[in-house]
Amino acid sequence: MARLAAILKALWRAFQRGEKSIATVAGNNFFLVALLFLGKAGSFLFLIMGLVILFPLSTDPLRKIPPSRLALWPLEKREQWMLRAISPWVNPMTWAIAALALWAVRGSVTVGLWAMAAGLVAAGFVISELPLPAGAAMWRRVPHFPGPLDQLIRKNLREMLSTLDFYCALLLSVSTAAYRMFGPPLPAEAFLAMTLLVVVALSSYAQCLFGLDGVGGRSRYRLLPLSGWQILAAKDAAFLLVAAVLSAPLAPLAGLGAAFVALAMGRRPTVEDPRPQTRWRFSAGASPMYGIGQVIAMAFAASSIFLTSWLIVLPCVLVWAGSLWWYGQRLEERELAG
Amino acid sequence: MISCRNLTRRYGDFTAVDGLNLEVDAGAICVFLGPNGAGKSTTVKMLTGLLTPTSGTVEVCGLDAAANPRELKRRIGVLPEDLGLFDDLTVEEHLLLTGAVYGLDKAETHRRTGQLLHALSLEHGRHTFAASCSHGMRKKTSFAMALLPNPRVLFLDEPFEAVDPVTSKIMRDLLMSAARRGVTVFLTSHILSVAEEIATQVVMIRKGKIVWNSPAGELPQSLEAHYFDLVESPVVEELEWLGSPRS
Repeated sequence: MARLAAILKALWRAFQRGEKSIATVAGNNFFLVALLFLGKAGSFLFLIMGLVILFPLSTDPLRKIPPSRLALWPLEKREQWMLRAISPWVNPMTWAIAALALWAVRGSVTVGLWAMAAGLVAAGFVISELPLPAGAAMWRRVPHFPGPLDQLIRKNLREMLSTLDFYCALLLSVSTAAYRMFGPPLPAEAFLAMTLLVVVALSSYAQCLFGLDGVGGRSRYRLLPLSGWQILAAKDAAFLLVAAVLSAPLAPLAGLGAAFVALAMGRRPTVEDPRPQTRWRFSAGASPMYGIGQVIAMAFAASSIFLTSWLIVLPCVLVWAGSLWWYGQRLEERELAG
Repeated sequence: MISCRNLTRRYGDFTAVDGLNLEVDAGAICVFLGPNGAGKSTTVKMLTGLLTPTSGTVEVCGLDAAANPRELKRRIGVLPEDLGLFDDLTVEEHLLLTGAVYGLDKAETHRRTGQLLHALSLEHGRHTFAASCSHGMRKKTSFAMALLPNPRVLFLDEPFEAVDPVTSKIMRDLLMSAARRGVTVFLTSHILSVAEEIATQVVMIRKGKIVWNSPAGELPQSLEAHYFDLVESPVVEELEWLGSPRS
């Protein structure tokens, strides 16, 4: 037990040091929107999902110990199991989830509901243990692009395809396109709503474009003789390509306009407050309030394009280009500051 | 080719590099030695324009590093401390990226990429993603990226650590051959035997200050002995419990 106590103590210390942003509640735009759409019945589960999967605070504290080190320690099987079971409680978010669950279902606890909540908590904590590809090995073949930024755009595309945001948007796009082909006719506005939902699902990633580059990647950006705007443009190209392909079967121009606005709005946190992200998770944006602002701007752009004129795409592009120029300079200044 | 005057970098109250003065001629291989935390990597970052000095000036290839960071990046090759690799690019893609970004045409980039992959025994792993590479492969990839644009000055942070003996020998030969053609090499290392073999200039730093700077031929004794005398002498403590029956 002394060994276990020593490890837990070290974990607590490491977790506290690593999670200084406890006051910053970061979220994912798609789930913010989903929460708005769903009634009381679904809110509990979505809240649980949001807490467990989306917020960076809910990362498994045991990940602070490198797996190779953990494997080398002479722990008994029983101690390993206990460590696995106790370590999530080092995370204050686990206590918050438990308290929320107790509060939300007071008096109406069902076995199924608890099982679902427990499953989601478990999924959140063990997802890092799953044997998913470390990098983008499953996306080896991505298209080439003209110009010197080819490999950077391909890399950025692979990064984006290793987030759950993309798969969420893909599911929405494919299912709506299938319904459009095989189901009864839908009003045109339905495609606007679904397009917006697709781009919203991608939009949190626009707030953390450098999140999957790692320390080495960020260091390489500083060594390459590229302007700040070029580095950002390579990021944007990948984002716009994904957004354009996924919104193509729905309302393509509205989707593209919303994507330009999402990038422009996401620029500040991307450059000024780059947050590391975890692969095969949903992207965590700067804050729920920032996310809501981004979604409102995207909705405004998409509906204007869809309901009035496609020419509204042009101001969206202008806003995006302005943000590219301005934050390109900011990126260079930050690089020099070290 | 490399010149710095009163180069200083402070982090709050801590002075990482303190009034460094240094001149390195074209074609020299300058070995920069010092214990962990002495200020070597901070110095390399300032010389390569990656970090703004608190005070002092840096000139590399005749360019002020602080005023012309992008132009400087075009003329130098760097193997950084953290290797600077992207997890989502393969070994070969890193080299193709370098060629394109430094303005080489496609044919020349492919030619140099093939040669470097062959020279550094990276051919078998050319399609491996950096995230899946061994540390040695990652280091060789970063080294190849530094060489590929044919820079006038090379800054290499611990290039020989974690590479196999054969690759280490190939890297040394490549560096010496480049230096003979006028390329300036500035490297840090903890492997004193290798440093002694290739250095034409030796600089030692301790607590942010230069304690030795001379041509390699002017060292009064072996590099290792001189390093232990000037920088830090190894104090071997007797650990009485080590190897004794378990208590």
